[in-house]
Amino acid sequence: MASTQQLKGRIRSVKSTKQITKAMQLVAASKMRRAQEAEKASAPYTRAANELLTHLASQGVTKGHPLFEIRDQIRSRLLIVVATDKGLAGAYDSNILKLYAKQLIADDQAGVKNETITIGRRANRFASRIKGTKVIAAYQDLPDDPAGSQLRAIVDMAREKFEAGEVDAVDILYTEFITSVNQMPMMQRVMPAGYEITEVTDEIKEALFEPSAEEVLEAVTYRLIEAQVYHALLTARASEYMMRMMAMKNATDNANDLIDDLTLAMNKARQGAITQELAEISGGVEALNE
Amino acid sequence: MKFQLITLLGVKVDQDVYEVILPTADGEIAVFPGHEPLVSLAVPGAIAVRHNKGDADDKLEYFAISGGVIEVSQEILKVLVDEADSGEDIVEAESKAALERALKARDNATNQVELEKAHQLVDRHAVRLKVADLRRRHRR
Repeated sequence: MASTQQLKGRIRSVKSTKQITKAMQLVAASKMRRAQEAEKASAPYTRAANELLTHLASQGVTKGHPLFEIRDQIRSRLLIVVATDKGLAGAYDSNILKLYAKQLIADDQAGVKNETITIGRRANRFASRIKGTKVIAAYQDLPDDPAGSQLRAIVDMAREKFEAGEVDAVDILYTEFITSVNQMPMMQRVMPAGYEITEVTDEIKEALFEPSAEEVLEAVTYRLIEAQVYHALLTARASEYMMRMMAMKNATDNANDLIDDLTLAMNKARQGAITQELAEISGGVEALNE
Repeated sequence: MKFQLITLLGVKVDQDVYEVILPTADGEIAVFPGHEPLVSLAVPGAIAVRHNKGDADDKLEYFAISGGVIEVSQEILKVLVDEADSGEDIVEAESKAALERALKARDNATNQVELEKAHQLVDRHAVRLKVADLRRRHRR
């Protein structure tokens, strides 16, 4: 059995680990709330853009627009993969990378060329080792509330590729925050652009378009795509923090169990030593009496 | 007339106003209640809001915006933009310094990405400075 000294040292080290995991759990919890709120705040924007697009589409302006062009055959595809920078979030990274790998295999079998934009160090580390894809951009250390300029850099790159015909589709892979116990890796097509059909107020139906319907369409479509990417990034962040919180909670619980076990072992060892000493003393007394 | 200023970060303004002056691709337009339905493009610039009919120019509220889409209907004016800053949050000296920094970055840019970024910053801070300037002029 280990000595009480050794056990004491181990308890101390587990305790300090526990403090760290506990702190990370609390930090993740508060960051998660903030990410969720930011995600909710973008809803009116998306709704308004959707409404305008629905109307524009009903007027037939979307036909022939390059961003809406659905190509018969998809020969090459751009994937945007969102993972974490530092891991420590349970199965988060492996889940999303599993979905990504599945897509790569599917593309490989169908003879579709593949390019990737990675967001997060983990995604980049994974993608850059794979031969089947070419990483054209890697973003890391994106803040929790990505500013317009960072978002635009990602969207612009995808759009240039799409409009130039270098890729026939752009998909984003991210983890959707469904409920606090359920976060699902998902894939969404961002180009060619789509939109949800929403109700359109009568007033927009009669509206004038300045300078022209096409130019308005261009601006709205671009903003809707931006909003989709923004949503993906934020919901992925919320999921990441949720899963990190759970992972750290488990780690804290494990540390507690470990501390209990080690304390028990230490007490046993100490009691054993006392009993032994007593036995030796009483043995000594017996020997003197004889 | 209801005025809504909507950005990706949330709804910045949602209130009843009398007049809104907007920078569009074809020049500045002023929108009053009962304006005919219109959808137009906003360019980076300053939005001015007059809350009540009798308000003088020194009571105008300003916002610096980046580009976006404007949607006008009889009772509601929606402005969808990437970024919007309230004039009250803008400190003139800070904006000036930021603009100078951005100009310097633009002149020293070594590649296309940096140049692009610097251009965006120059635009952004130029607009903010303009808003700060407008505010100062009207307050005096």
